[in-house]
Amino acid sequence: MDVFSFLGRTREDKARLEQHRLRLYRIAYAWTHNAALADDLVQETLAKALRKSSQLRDPNAGDAWLYSILANCHRDHFRRSRTTEEIDENTITHESTPEKESSDQQVVLKVREAIARLSEGQRQVVTLVDIQGLSYLEVAQILNVPIGTVMSRLCRARHALKDLLGDFAPKTAADESKIRRIK
Amino acid sequence: MSNEEQKFSDEFINAFVDDQLTPEEKAQVYARLSGNEALNRQICELRKTRDLVQLAYKEPPMPTRGMATLSAGRKIGLGVAAGLMLIIGGITGWFLHQPSPNQATSVAQQAPGEDVPAKVLFHVSDGHADHLKNVLDDVEELMKHYRLSHQKARVEVITNGEGLSLLLAGISPYAERIQKMQKEYHDLTFVACQNTIDRYQQELGFTAKLLPGVVVIDSGVAQIMRRQHQGWAYIQG
Repeated sequence: MDVFSFLGRTREDKARLEQHRLRLYRIAYAWTHNAALADDLVQETLAKALRKSSQLRDPNAGDAWLYSILANCHRDHFRRSRTTEEIDENTITHESTPEKESSDQQVVLKVREAIARLSEGQRQVVTLVDIQGLSYLEVAQILNVPIGTVMSRLCRARHALKDLLGDFAPKTAADESKIRRIK
Repeated sequence: MSNEEQKFSDEFINAFVDDQLTPEEKAQVYARLSGNEALNRQICELRKTRDLVQLAYKEPPMPTRGMATLSAGRKIGLGVAAGLMLIIGGITGWFLHQPSPNQATSVAQQAPGEDVPAKVLFHVSDGHADHLKNVLDDVEELMKHYRLSHQKARVEVITNGEGLSLLLAGISPYAERIQKMQKEYHDLTFVACQNTIDRYQQELGFTAKLLPGVVVIDSGVAQIMRRQHQGWAYIQG
């Protein structure tokens, strides 16, 4: 990247690129839950984007375009190494939640775990809509599926998340009430 | 109440939460919201789920290599870039100190054979008149050399950033000279960067008018990378 900035990109261009990088990374991480892999995917995406930048006629389509490249890189990666790559790694299968971890952090890990359990299609849709705030139409174009599919996947994903997460917040409340009854 | 509720599909309610409905459709939902506790709760839960997902990835863990050490990497990158700049500057300076034909010869050696044309790009991103004059002098020297030595050559002058001023009608101090060079050397192309033109328009409200015969490409940087992939020699003009 630095080579490009060195070749005459302005500081604003560079700042924009870094923003793209962080946003892409956030999505890539949500898809893979693997920091190193997400970083690789983002790098590959940006490199492809620069190579193919001549194909991009509408500059406003830039964001969605980048995510569709990311989706392709992601798909290609798992096609290449389907047998060897495990999605669940380190942070997701954490063994304990030490007390010192703030409750916020616990919620975060719980949500990530729930997201990781979704089917790949559902995970992609729900992260693009929720984290990135993209429209259904944009997501449909990025993932190359009909908009109806986006809607149904999103609906099912949120339903599943509600089930997965729903039994963690009220559960503690239920436990508490049990304890109270024992008392 | 439950009958009314059933009229909205889950997808529809999701679309409401994500602000994907038309104003009329939204109005329909709002109209049903009052007094419909189940619908209220459904929307509230969907919003909560969405907020949780946002929260979960607000600060994703950075990889130990790469992102986490990005600032350090960038510094190294800058160092490398600066080093490259020094080398290019040094080489260019060395060439410039040589009598002109030598400079041209050394670049001409890029071409492996007589039939294969030499391919050279000049990158111009500085808009000072003196600087532009030096670039044009270099380009002209090179073209003359190729002509004298009967060597095929393609030369591109790629402008972006402030360097674009070289090719702007009414602004370029060397408009006539460029036109003369274009007539004289058919293998010489002057290239303008569309990104820069767009930026002039957006930031300064200035519509760029280019000199006749100037080729416009999507992005100067992308063009330079493409050319380098194709084996063109790069000269920082």
